[in-house]
Amino acid sequence: MTNVTIRGLCKYFDRVKAVDNLDLEIKAGEFIVLLGPSGCGKTTLLRCISGLERVTAGRVFFDDHDMTYLSPKGRDISMVFQNYAVWPHMRVEKNIAFPLKVKKFPQQEIKKRVAWASDLLRIEELLDRYPAQLSGGQRQRVAVARAIVVEPRVLLMDEPLSNLDALLRVRMRSEVKKLQQKLTVTTIYVTHDQVEAMTMGDRIAVFNQGMLQQVGISDVIYHNPANTFVAGFIGSPQMNFIEVEIESINNELYLRTKNLTIPLNDKFKAKVSEHSGIRNYILGIRPEHIYLTGQSKTYPVTKGKVYFLELLRSDTIIHLETEFGFLVVKEPGDLKLEENREIEVSFDLNRIHLFYEDTGNSIMT
Amino acid sequence: MENLIALKTNRIPWALKIRGVLTILVAIFIGVWFLTPLVLITISAFASPRDYYQIEKVIPTHFTVEHFHALFFELEGWQAMLNSLKVVGLTILFSFTVGLPASYALSRYKFRGKSFLKLSMLASRMFPVMILAIPLLIIYMKIGLSDTIYGVALAHTIMVLPLIILVSASILASVSVDYEEAAMIFGLSRIHAFLKITLPLALPGLVASAILAFIISWNEVFIATILNLTNRTLPAHIFRSAMDSPDYFKFTAGFIMSIPAVIFIFFVRKHLVTMWGISLK
Ligand SMILES: Nc1ncnc2c1ncn2[C@@H]1O[C@H](COP(=O)(O)OP(=O)(O)OP(=O)(O)O)[C@@H](O)[C@H]1O
Ligand SMILES: [Mg+2]
Repeated sequence: MTNVTIRGLCKYFDRVKAVDNLDLEIKAGEFIVLLGPSGCGKTTLLRCISGLERVTAGRVFFDDHDMTYLSPKGRDISMVFQNYAVWPHMRVEKNIAFPLKVKKFPQQEIKKRVAWASDLLRIEELLDRYPAQLSGGQRQRVAVARAIVVEPRVLLMDEPLSNLDALLRVRMRSEVKKLQQKLTVTTIYVTHDQVEAMTMGDRIAVFNQGMLQQVGISDVIYHNPANTFVAGFIGSPQMNFIEVEIESINNELYLRTKNLTIPLNDKFKAKVSEHSGIRNYILGIRPEHIYLTGQSKTYPVTKGKVYFLELLRSDTIIHLETEFGFLVVKEPGDLKLEENREIEVSFDLNRIHLFYEDTGNSIMT
Repeated sequence: MENLIALKTNRIPWALKIRGVLTILVAIFIGVWFLTPLVLITISAFASPRDYYQIEKVIPTHFTVEHFHALFFELEGWQAMLNSLKVVGLTILFSFTVGLPASYALSRYKFRGKSFLKLSMLASRMFPVMILAIPLLIIYMKIGLSDTIYGVALAHTIMVLPLIILVSASILASVSVDYEEAAMIFGLSRIHAFLKITLPLALPGLVASAILAFIISWNEVFIATILNLTNRTLPAHIFRSAMDSPDYFKFTAGFIMSIPAVIFIFFVRKHLVTMWGISLK
């Protein structure tokens, strides 16, 4: 088991800051997920850790060994490439066996491991085909099989399940997770699928524009997002953001905007009074934390006109037109609401997030 | 009604048929254009002298292999052909040992002055060989390379090298760098990754660029004539001896010249279409 320490890592491509001053500590045997939108530098970070990319600045350590300038060969890692990189001139079997051959495993052991990996990824029937004769998803599974047959110090996976159908993806998620627990290999897993991140990661590191936004267990990422980016990126549908001002009415503090007045929760009070009135704020609330009044006993807050309904059958997503903009509400089950009807909704006061408008940071941090 | 549909469906195949026929005609024309000289050379090469000089006989009927015998054994063509094969082999060997690393660098790295470097390689080809030949001979005489197989091979290497480098670079560039990187991740050094992964993937294209080197070196006559007196290559040898001989001898010589190239290309022809990395499957 190896822990990976990244210190002050920068990777610039001319003027593009693909990775910008990253500090990250990955514990031995941990399954960490790198989550972020397309182009935020996830692949670049993996390539820096693997040694394929020369870093612009900063250091990469495996345990106490400085790996920053070591070639990939000396790092004892495995990687699933985003575009698979399965060698076209080798049959599937040879592809999977290749890392074992390089490490001079005995023939018997190679056979055993290839059989094991191909069984796990359900590609036994494909073993003597060439990659050109495989579908994208099959090729991807070959790439995963090739990466797991050796027991590397660090396993790097770049969106390894992105091309599988929904059913297979869910099954593979649990297989990969279980496998990782069994092998207890330090794993860095890149995805832009938040469900994958939530379900698989011991911890999640959220990136945007080359910068680490927040790192923590999924619970923290979801319930205490560090800034508006994390808050907006995690959760579906997206969190509602409403610009608010803080107002004092009868010595009580309220968050106010047109047609909306919300008493300030105790946990925010101390923070706000430190610099009251100077800054503008953004209130964040997730669609699942807004209720139709009558269904919950929390504070009744605002009215809105039903603009559009998304019927997902398991849930109903209601788009409300309010005086302060659109509000998305998620209610469990089938709801029958006709469009343009006025309804009242209430916010779960304990689930309100508050961010500074200028920096986007949560006021709790 | 049914007739109408039949008419309509018939019309399209007609257009296609005409196009098909036209394509075939054009193909035949091109084939004839290129093959006629080859056929004429072949026929004349085997023609008996009497048939050859009989004006009213367009196509000879008596054939003989005597010219070949004469050219090969009496005029030492056999030795010259061997020399030529050696020169070609060495040229390909030299130009690939030097050219492949260069083309790898051009295909994989970004560096200052790269396009200038490429351009200057082509510029060296713009230098006429006539001007090069005499100084080269003098230098060769000083270092004892004149009148040797190696000397000619080296000169030919200089001629084909820019082409080999540029063509191979574009072929290597067509092999995705990811394959190489994957091999490095799984424990190979860069050079091993190149040998185990990139080289096999690029081989078809590289074979095609070897054909280029083959043809250039095999047909080169000027440098070969000037540099070597006794160890002449086939074209140089023919240039010297066959040109003073009767016409049918020239055809025989021409035939001998073209045969190795035809055989070589025949064996590697399926790789030709993949030359620019269009297909790697
Ligand atoms: N070789 C390169 N040269 C120049 N810019 C690059 C290079 N590689 C990546 N970039 C840039 O760096 C940024 C990060 O790219 P990267 O591939 O790491 O994104 P990513 O997070 O993996 O995205 P995706 O989810 O789409 O795979 C992008 O803006 C990209 O354009
Ligand atoms: Mg990527």
